[in-house]
Amino acid sequence: MAIKFEKLSYIYSPDMPYATKAISDIDLEISEGKITAIIGKTGSGKSTLIQHLNALLLPSSGTLTIADFTITSDKKPKGLKALRRKVGLVFQFSEYQLFEETILKDVAFGPKNFGFSEEEAIARAKEALGLVGLDESYYERSPLDISGGQKRRAAIAGILAIDPDIIVLDEPTAGLDPRGTKEMIALFSALNKKLHKTIILVTHDNEIVYESADEVVLLEDGKVVCKQDAHSFFEDRALLKSHAIIEPKIVKLKDLLMDKGLKLDNIYSIQDLAVALGGNHE
Amino acid sequence: MNNIVFGKYIPLDTPIHRLDPRAKILAMLVMLVAIFIPAGWTGYVVLALAISFVVKVSKIKFKVIIRAFRPLIFMMCFLLVVNILSVKQGQLLVDIGFVKIYADAIFNTLYIIIRLFLMIMLTTILTMMTKPLDLTLGIEYLLGPFKRIGVPAHEIAMMISIALRFIPTIIEETIRIMNSQKSRGVDFEEGKLKEKITAVVSLVVPLFSVSLQRADELANAMEARGYVPDAQRTRYRRLHYVRRDYILLVGAILILLAMIALALFL
Ligand SMILES: Nc1ncnc2c1ncn2[C@@H]1O[C@H](COP(=O)(O)OP(=O)(O)OP(=O)(O)O)[C@@H](O)[C@H]1O
Ligand SMILES: [Mg+2]
Repeated sequence: MAIKFEKLSYIYSPDMPYATKAISDIDLEISEGKITAIIGKTGSGKSTLIQHLNALLLPSSGTLTIADFTITSDKKPKGLKALRRKVGLVFQFSEYQLFEETILKDVAFGPKNFGFSEEEAIARAKEALGLVGLDESYYERSPLDISGGQKRRAAIAGILAIDPDIIVLDEPTAGLDPRGTKEMIALFSALNKKLHKTIILVTHDNEIVYESADEVVLLEDGKVVCKQDAHSFFEDRALLKSHAIIEPKIVKLKDLLMDKGLKLDNIYSIQDLAVALGGNHE
Repeated sequence: MNNIVFGKYIPLDTPIHRLDPRAKILAMLVMLVAIFIPAGWTGYVVLALAISFVVKVSKIKFKVIIRAFRPLIFMMCFLLVVNILSVKQGQLLVDIGFVKIYADAIFNTLYIIIRLFLMIMLTTILTMMTKPLDLTLGIEYLLGPFKRIGVPAHEIAMMISIALRFIPTIIEETIRIMNSQKSRGVDFEEGKLKEKITAVVSLVVPLFSVSLQRADELANAMEARGYVPDAQRTRYRRLHYVRRDYILLVGAILILLAMIALALFL
């Protein structure tokens, strides 16, 4: 399931005096089986870009290919349902999509739409709810009266229950507490490592990117600035500086230590750093 | 869905945008009356020319205004059919069994459609070229004299301005929820009746829930800032008529008089 954007542009309200070109000439390939983080300032076009992955927006020009699906500007694409079964999209404000009487039913809604039987949909829903950390006591509660963070978990479960090959998440951790954030990131890593899902993560949190992503795509004003390996991205001081990107804490700490003369190559986690500094972590 | 333009304000800086909202509202009312005066084809040509002139000055593409009509096409067709079949005057043009079409039916229907067209065009121009806030300010000013007989002018204006303010937000919300549900496999275009109902429910429930939440938050925010509906208040912005507003009003009234003259003497 390779994903390839070619010269893709999208313009909102093209006929209006206030037409905005949200993304332009995107040439990008997203690797299969990896966790790719899409970062960039507010308004840089991240959400616009990823909505194309479900053909919710059709390009104004250019093409997008996802495995054997091709999405272009001029036609109503066919096989949309099959595409959406393969690529699951969790929206930036996903907590507003809940509507069933109970959380369990709501999470089972997706699988049912994609043709799973009632029992199977419920089974998948239970599994997905377990993954996001909502236990049995939540099954029968109304999705409209739980907290924002719990709604978000339920919404993520709603997509996981469909079991897509590619999972796209737009700011999945906004509004979660630090512990919830950690759990979610661990979940995405596990989905990637154990079930070999391709994960695309839009986030403003560089700590998360550094910790979990394999590759980073940096967007600015609707254009791709660069796409590279996450670790080398954060080592590139000049690049970070010129785009006003705040480096993760561990990179900063390493910088300080290296300034003092320590040699710390190939160290990318707190654990490794502790060991390198002479501690004996596990 | 992305192309809902029905009267949405378009931020530009044109002479029409700069007019006093009261003058625009009054001129529109005068023109609406003018449209309903049976002044024959000449009259419609005059009106169409006047309105086209306004569109030209406003710099808004004609295409955009025409698009505002799309949702109404169905209604117009319905009207057309009913009207053509029910009017039984003038020369008989078509006669196939029980379907009889008369000349007057066609003309009458055309009149109605042109009237509707012009009316919608006028109101669309007004809302596209007037900030919602200005519009309500204008309404409040115009209703002012009726306060004495108990018309809650300020409350009406506030309600209208809140409603106008939230229309684009709700449209945005609708698109967002539809998109989320599409990702979960809902098909809003096709499907059996049962699937269609589920699709609609999956849209309407979250939309209501969000809107009610919004309304609640807004009410709290207003109260927290000490809003009391019937308090005496002064204004930060005051409206003053200037020359261009008088020109607009005089123009509108002249057109109305011309229509009356045409109707009486032709
Ligand atoms: N529905 C819309 N209509 C018009 N313009 C839009 C719309 N949605 C987004 N835009 C514009 O497109 C550009 C990109 O927006 P987008 O939502 O993709 O940004 P983003 O990177 O996701 O930002 P954030 O980090 O705040 O979520 C912005 O300039 C925005 O103003
Ligand atoms: Mg966004």
